[in-house]
Amino acid sequence: MTTEIRTDSLRPMTNLQIQQTREFVTSLDEVCQTYWDMVNVGEVLSRELHITPELVILYADAVEDYNPWYEGWRMNTWYIPGESPFGGAIVPPLLVSHFVLSVQFDHTKPFAIGSIHTYHDTEIFEPIPVGATVRISAKAIDKFIKRERRYVRHEVTVEDVGSGVLYMRETRDILSL
Amino acid sequence: MNPPYQTAPSQGLITVETPIGYELEGVKKKAAIQLMGSRLWGRFNPNHWDPVYAHQTGLAAPIQTGEMSSAYISEMCVNYFGANFFKNARFVCKYVASTLANEVITTYGVVKEKTPKGSGFRFKVEFWASNDEGQTKTIGWTEVDVGV
Repeated sequence: MTTEIRTDSLRPMTNLQIQQTREFVTSLDEVCQTYWDMVNVGEVLSRELHITPELVILYADAVEDYNPWYEGWRMNTWYIPGESPFGGAIVPPLLVSHFVLSVQFDHTKPFAIGSIHTYHDTEIFEPIPVGATVRISAKAIDKFIKRERRYVRHEVTVEDVGSGVLYMRETRDILSL
Repeated sequence: MNPPYQTAPSQGLITVETPIGYELEGVKKKAAIQLMGSRLWGRFNPNHWDPVYAHQTGLAAPIQTGEMSSAYISEMCVNYFGANFFKNARFVCKYVASTLANEVITTYGVVKEKTPKGSGFRFKVEFWASNDEGQTKTIGWTEVDVGV
C-alpha cells in the first residue's frame, strides 16, 4: 500500500498555506547544473558578509542557543554592545561556517538541490565581534569519487575586512549528485 | 534584572585538572520542522522542510542541514571550554547519517587526550550526536587549549 505524503504532515496548515507551499516549491524547480559540474578545481570565489546583531539572533534562535555572549540585540532594549569574555557580543563559533556554502559556487546561478554537506575541518583563531564584516574566500581544491559518490572539496578562509584579522580557516566537502 | 539564561562559565567547565575519560553532558534538541525550514537555515532547499519534496527525492522525511548538528555540538563545546573555544581551537565534524524531522538529538563528548602546552594543556574531546534510538548522526573531535 502506498502512503500519501502530505504537505501538512509535519505541521498544521490550511488549504491556502498548502497551495502557497506547493507554488513556492515549484518555483524553485529551475534548470541547474549539478554541484560537481558547477565547480572547477582551482576556482576562487570571495564574498563579504556583514554579521549584524539580527543575523546572529536568527542563527542562534533556530538552534535554540541562548548564550547571552551572542546578543548584540535584545527585545525591548534593541541594540546593545553585549557582553562576553572578550568585551562586547561575539558571533557563535560556527556561524560563518554555515554561510560558506554561499561562496562555494556562483550564487547568481540556480542552487543545485541534492548536494549534501558531509564534512568540515574548522580552525577557529579569534572570536568575531558582532557587527564585523568578514570576507569569506573559498578555493576549490579537489574533486574526488569515493564509494561511487562524487565530492567537491574547498579550502576556506574568513578574515576581517577592516583589520585583516584571520578568524577562521576551514576544509569542507560537499557530496554532489 | 538579568535574563534567565544558562550562561557558560567564561573559561568553561573543563580546567587543567580535568582528567582523560571525563564525560561531557551534552545538549538535547528536537529537529523541529519550523526551525529546519527557517530562512537562515534550510529554506533554500525544500529537502530540509517539505515532506512531499523530500519523499520525491527518496528521503523518509525532510532532513536537517548538517550545520545545525555542528551548532548543537559547538554549544556543548562552549559550555565546557568557554572562551577557550574561540581562540586557536579546531573542530572536525563528519555527518554520517541524516537527521530527520521530529527526531530528538543528543550530543555527547569525552576527553580523549590532554597534551602539555605552555602552562596548561591542549585537550582533545571526541564528540558525537545520536537520536533517541542510539543511531549516530554526527561524529568528530575538537582540540582546545586550556590554561595555556
